[in-house]
Amino acid sequence: MKNTQISLRQCGIIIAMCIFANKILLMPSLMFENSKSDSIFVLIFLFALDFIALPIFLRLKKHYPTERLYDILKDKIGVFVTKLIFILLIVFFFFKCLLVFSVTYVYFKNQIYHDEFIFLAFISFLPVISHAAIVGIRAFSRTMELFFFFVIAGFIVCLCISLFTPISMPYFFTTTAKDFFTSTYNHIFSFGDFAFLFLVIDRIKISDGEEKSIYKYAFFSMLLVLILYILFFAKYQITAFMHNNALADMLVFSVQFNAIGRLDIIAMITIMLMTVFQMEIFSFAFCECFQSIFPLLNRAYAIVFFDILFCVLYYVFVGKYENVVSSVVSWLPVLGMIVSYLLPILFWIISYQKRRGKIEKTD
Amino acid sequence: MKKLIDYIKRFPMIVILIIILLFFTPLAVFSPGENRNRGVVTAIGLDFVDNEYEVSLLTFIPTANQTYKQKNSVISGKGKSVVDAISKASVAMGRDVGLAHAKTTVVSESMLAEDVAESLSLLAHIASLPENTVFVCTNTSAKEMLQNSQNLVDELGLQLEQIISYNANELYVTDTSLEAFYKGYYSFLKSSLIGYIPLVDSEDTNTDSSVSSSQNTDTSQQEVQGDSSPQGGAQSSQSKKKILNEGEAVLLKSGKMVEKLSTYQLSGINLLNPKDLNQLIKINDVDLNGSIMDLTYRLKDKKVLTTTKFENGYPVFYAKLILSVELVETEGADENTKSNTEYSEITPEIANKIEEQINKKYVTAVNLLRKNGTDVIGVTSKFFRNNRKDYKKFIENHDTPDNFIKYVTFKLTTVVQPD
Repeated sequence: MKNTQISLRQCGIIIAMCIFANKILLMPSLMFENSKSDSIFVLIFLFALDFIALPIFLRLKKHYPTERLYDILKDKIGVFVTKLIFILLIVFFFFKCLLVFSVTYVYFKNQIYHDEFIFLAFISFLPVISHAAIVGIRAFSRTMELFFFFVIAGFIVCLCISLFTPISMPYFFTTTAKDFFTSTYNHIFSFGDFAFLFLVIDRIKISDGEEKSIYKYAFFSMLLVLILYILFFAKYQITAFMHNNALADMLVFSVQFNAIGRLDIIAMITIMLMTVFQMEIFSFAFCECFQSIFPLLNRAYAIVFFDILFCVLYYVFVGKYENVVSSVVSWLPVLGMIVSYLLPILFWIISYQKRRGKIEKTD
Repeated sequence: MKKLIDYIKRFPMIVILIIILLFFTPLAVFSPGENRNRGVVTAIGLDFVDNEYEVSLLTFIPTANQTYKQKNSVISGKGKSVVDAISKASVAMGRDVGLAHAKTTVVSESMLAEDVAESLSLLAHIASLPENTVFVCTNTSAKEMLQNSQNLVDELGLQLEQIISYNANELYVTDTSLEAFYKGYYSFLKSSLIGYIPLVDSEDTNTDSSVSSSQNTDTSQQEVQGDSSPQGGAQSSQSKKKILNEGEAVLLKSGKMVEKLSTYQLSGINLLNPKDLNQLIKINDVDLNGSIMDLTYRLKDKKVLTTTKFENGYPVFYAKLILSVELVETEGADENTKSNTEYSEITPEIANKIEEQINKKYVTAVNLLRKNGTDVIGVTSKFFRNNRKDYKKFIENHDTPDNFIKYVTFKLTTVVQPD
């Protein structure tokens, strides 16, 4: 039988990629518009909420080490509700993928490919992510493992270079509680990064005592994102809203490095790699959900459906980048809240019941 | 055929790779070079003439030659908005305008009569403007400035942005980029500082600070206009002009010019800036070794300590300057002291006189900032940061944050010590 399991290190890398998704380019400036430099607290708050899902995942994994999420839910809440949840997950991962693509596409369009058209971007991305979705989690997580060092190195270089320009402590506590919670609600969709883990719960190989390393990866990635926000707001302060590509903008406008040339190539490569990996993860999640809902259709149908939906929705319906971004802060947060917080609560209840059942049996 | 289908099934990525290569390779091979479609703009000039914007672009069009000489042209376009003017300039150039390498943005003084931020918003939001675009003002038209700056390169190999960068590092001691302008523009008191480099008729000036003489007859210089009607800038550019760099700057409030600053005023503003070193302080009639001398000291090191307080409900800004100075020139009768400028004992008299000079400068700067309701030294933000509660209370009871600096009492203590 084909081995489809991934190691805990690979799982950690996937988590890191999910944590970086949608947070390092556009979100800092969008957040700044809502909650100024206090966005850092919004970020910490949302990360803390996300972090709670991790022990729930580990507990669920402990009780159901080899079972698929679909099967776990089917046994507990029935087929209909399970399929409904999986439809929500499909929409969630699809829009996450669409958002990652939109933000990166606009970034690259502004930076290099001014005259390019959208289909060229589709041709560059979709075959790669379709292939990843077909070959499975084990194959693409190994690719990520290979490039992880370069991604992290690129990220850290971007952060370090910004230290050579004048930075000063941002002004905190300048916004109201309403601003804080508005900002939290508006950007909730970009979080909920551990939802993917529940979906591949049966594919992760965790030995006893290894759980800690998953926390390390999550904490390290969150810390990097947090440092990015702090440095970004410290560097640009009140003009942060003008800079839509946070990680890349840490390198530009750096007087000291003007003479060296286009250092932003470092950010470009880092962002490119991250985008491909994140899209692979989300498209794979889409296909997993699709296959669970339609068990008779194989993976090829799922990815073809994904590709067609992606092109049509992007080009015809969503079309403009602004529409994607406005959706993220208007109706997608509701979906984000359901997937990021309500589902983990449901999983917690399931694992609690299982534990109670076990205790009752032993009694 | 069956074998081929099996092969495709086994290695789908190879087929995809071949398809992608087939798609992209002809595009890459047969598409024209980027240089044909895009003009590389190295500096942008903005003027407002006859109720129209005129955008001038110092453009470098890469061509093969044997002299390694860069061929630049000033191409301009006029329109009701900056975007309109740029598109007309693009038509005149016969290429798209590539602003990614624009390192200098020049505006004419007349542009600063109104809020210049609105006119610059297009440039500020161009994500492909990755490098620091230095923002500078000139007395005549920006177009003329670009035309004359071109000759700096031709005659001296000196770029305009190099002069501005020198000023920014040594005189303004602050970032004068477009980004810095916007930071100031959106700050509490909406004030920014930008460089000022005037153009003067070469016959009219005999200053040492002029960096180039220029004549608009250079063969390498061309001028193309996006609007067929002749206009002022182009006409006046026929006369000889010099770029006069005296290290002046312009103080802006809400994007409008409120004051032109001399180097003396600038050094006063920069007194609290620890990076601002090498200032010369001249004191007269000092008793040194029994003879009366005029001494010039150079500022070698500076420590700045600042505190903000509210005393009796009013803001007080305390600053302490610890200056290390070095004697660099002596004038007077004592030949021995004159030939030993390294002699740098700071007598109480010398310290008092230096302190007097520093205080005078500081008072000038503070009065200037108060008069214009501007704050380019960040006093307001210091109060906001350190005494936020008192600051908010004060603003509620007294005035808008705009006038806060007018109520601040400045207190300066200077300690002078040898280097």
